[in-house]
Amino acid sequence: MATIPHTSPFTHNASSVRKVMLQVQIAAFPALMTHIYFFGFGITIQWTLAVLTLIIVETALLKLRNRPVAPYIFDLSGLITVTGIVFCIPPESPWWVIVSGVTFALIFGKHLYGGLGYNPFNPAMLGYAFLLISFPAELTQWTLPSEVSGHHISFIESFHLIFTGQSLNLSFDQLTGATPLDEVKTALAMGVPVTTTLNSTNFNGEQIPYGWAWINVAFFIGGLWMLYKRAIRWQYPVGFLGSLALIAYVFHWIDPDTYAPASFHLLTGGIMLAAFFIITDPVTSSTTPLGRFIYAAGIAVLVYVIRNWGAFPDGIAFGILIMNMFVPLIDQYTQPRVVGYRR
Amino acid sequence: MTEEKDIQKTIQPKQELWQKMLRAARLLSIYTVIGVGILLLVKQLTNEPIQTAEKQVLLDTINQLLPSKQYDNNLLKDTIEVTAPKYLHTRDPVTVYRARNNGEPVALILTTHAPDGYSGDIKIMLAVYEDGRIAGVRVLKHKETPGLGDKIELKKSNWILGFDGLKLRDDNNALWSVRKDGGGFDQFTGATITPRAVIKAVKNALMFIQDKGAKLYE
Amino acid sequence: MSNSSNNVLTDKWADYQKIARNGLWNNNQALVALLGLCPLLAVTNNTVNGIGLGLATMAVLIVSNGLVSLIRDHVSDEVRIPVFIAIIASAVTVIDLLMEAYLHTLHGILGIFIPLIVTNCAILGRAEAYASKNTVDKSLVDAFFMGLGFALVLIVLGSLREIIGNGTLFDQMDLMFGESAKALTIHLWDDYHPVLLAILPPGAFIGLGLLVALKNAIEQRKAAKAQNVLGVHVSVNPLRAPE
Repeated sequence: MATIPHTSPFTHNASSVRKVMLQVQIAAFPALMTHIYFFGFGITIQWTLAVLTLIIVETALLKLRNRPVAPYIFDLSGLITVTGIVFCIPPESPWWVIVSGVTFALIFGKHLYGGLGYNPFNPAMLGYAFLLISFPAELTQWTLPSEVSGHHISFIESFHLIFTGQSLNLSFDQLTGATPLDEVKTALAMGVPVTTTLNSTNFNGEQIPYGWAWINVAFFIGGLWMLYKRAIRWQYPVGFLGSLALIAYVFHWIDPDTYAPASFHLLTGGIMLAAFFIITDPVTSSTTPLGRFIYAAGIAVLVYVIRNWGAFPDGIAFGILIMNMFVPLIDQYTQPRVVGYRR
Repeated sequence: MTEEKDIQKTIQPKQELWQKMLRAARLLSIYTVIGVGILLLVKQLTNEPIQTAEKQVLLDTINQLLPSKQYDNNLLKDTIEVTAPKYLHTRDPVTVYRARNNGEPVALILTTHAPDGYSGDIKIMLAVYEDGRIAGVRVLKHKETPGLGDKIELKKSNWILGFDGLKLRDDNNALWSVRKDGGGFDQFTGATITPRAVIKAVKNALMFIQDKGAKLYE
Repeated sequence: MSNSSNNVLTDKWADYQKIARNGLWNNNQALVALLGLCPLLAVTNNTVNGIGLGLATMAVLIVSNGLVSLIRDHVSDEVRIPVFIAIIASAVTVIDLLMEAYLHTLHGILGIFIPLIVTNCAILGRAEAYASKNTVDKSLVDAFFMGLGFALVLIVLGSLREIIGNGTLFDQMDLMFGESAKALTIHLWDDYHPVLLAILPPGAFIGLGLLVALKNAIEQRKAAKAQNVLGVHVSVNPLRAPE
């Protein structure tokens, strides 16, 4: 074990990684609870599937690479990866979605580059992007919040949906639908202004859509706790959320019919998950203070661009992967100047 | 004497260079001429096969929509050019092929465009019987998202066959939209923009044919 | 007398074998030289496209290598490259026209990538590096095997991407071999959910990367075996195939 060189994150030993990773897991707990409250127990089944896949794939690959299995599996970094993917996919998507997504993320996102610490791309987002591109139909069908569909999905129903694709009582189309982001985008393409869509029944007449918004709030709370515990750096969420809010505010102010308000952008999709749990990954993001800010702001710009003018309803995965590529460049130009040294 | 020698010295390499360049130019020209000659010859030889192949492909597509048993004329020759940017969404003239049996009008075949797909124009061919019923619709070209919008291809799904036998009447206007909008066509999971666009384009083309009526067969 | 002619023959065979090994494996234009990647990555989303472009490239290679070798003594160094280009461009255009005439639908699908064979560096590369210095028979053998090696990579990559991204093998073969080839299509799974990534551009890059990695892994294994037999240590650079 000692012969394996480490790059960033400059960890002393596996246990310190484990402590941070554990904090991250705890911080995701409120969001998990909210998710179950609104969308049912689907996510727990997905999470179990993901962890099983993680253990099998990780063990197989570590064996193939002649690395010791135990210390690497128990550093919990893989757990963060699969948790990230699980929160991104629809809770009732078929079982092979999460299994293939996790497998792809671990093989192509982590081990092919040489394992944790060497991967330029965020493995969770790589896995999610793989799923978005490969199975677009499955990935757009979100379970509707029980407030909207009027039906709370039981554990057994979720199980059935995930493993057989069939629903017990209601049809799949009644239980699932487009996400708010998708809805707004499709409506815009039909010439329906954003304001009209936001006030339609699917949104219960609220400015912010149900379910999704509360999960984002839960992530926000967990994120604040991580900031307090110093598990993550403040530049990431501040740079990301600040830039996104600013851009969204300016565009909404220019043309409220075409561009949704900032509150909508901040509380839909995976924004808060990304802000506190994904872009804060020390391996694949910038390591300098200014660099972190630029990195986060760059993702915000890309997310906004993809949401409004791109082919996909949300741009978290692609925004993060694209900015991952710029990290070496950002790092190079934002190195803190050594005292007494002049350029 | 010495002066003359000097001049010769400077002239000689120059002449050599000229000769070399000339030789190279000659060589290159010869090869180019041979190449062009061969190309012209092959172009000549393949001209006809290419045209027959083009016609065959067109005819094959048309026959998918309208069985060749139903008409007896050479419909590739029996055409009329129309321009209707409002209905067919293209400024270019559209060729309408006319199928007849014993001189009696059977069906019209034409291409139209759906401009409001998810990404770019969708090119559609449709055949319409003389009484306004649809014989068949096919998507010829599109750039929709693979896995979502591309179910308009017959290769991916039977959705496009849903048009067969339909007719545009005053009382079934509501039918011409996706189920989500209260119509009679399925939308695709995750993609409603594409089917909406195709339905609208087909409906517009039918309206065009209704508008012109028998004039199109003249 | 007969003995010496026999020797010449076996020498020739040994030469040809070496050329074949080079073209198919050691110096494979796609896997080792990494030439002609633009068409390779762009069209290989199914087997039939791979076969179509592979055969077209092979045909161009054979024609250009043969002609270049024929005229190699009559072309001065200065205009060598333009003459080669003229020959290659003519050969490509001829094959483009022939395909348009006799494989019309496939030609429509491969589209711009047939004329683009002109820009495939593998072809000018073979003309310049091999055909302009070797006899006609050797150049033809070289062209055949270089082309075959390239075509095989196209076909393997196309098949892989088709299997993963479409769940079929040999789909649409009728475009190339006529109506009867429609029966060749194999549906591998009944209820398959195609992994679209494989037939989209990223799948081409990932697939080619995996093929190159596989080749290098085989080379490394061979080298390791040789090492064991000889009992000496040879450092193996996984990025370079042994000459």
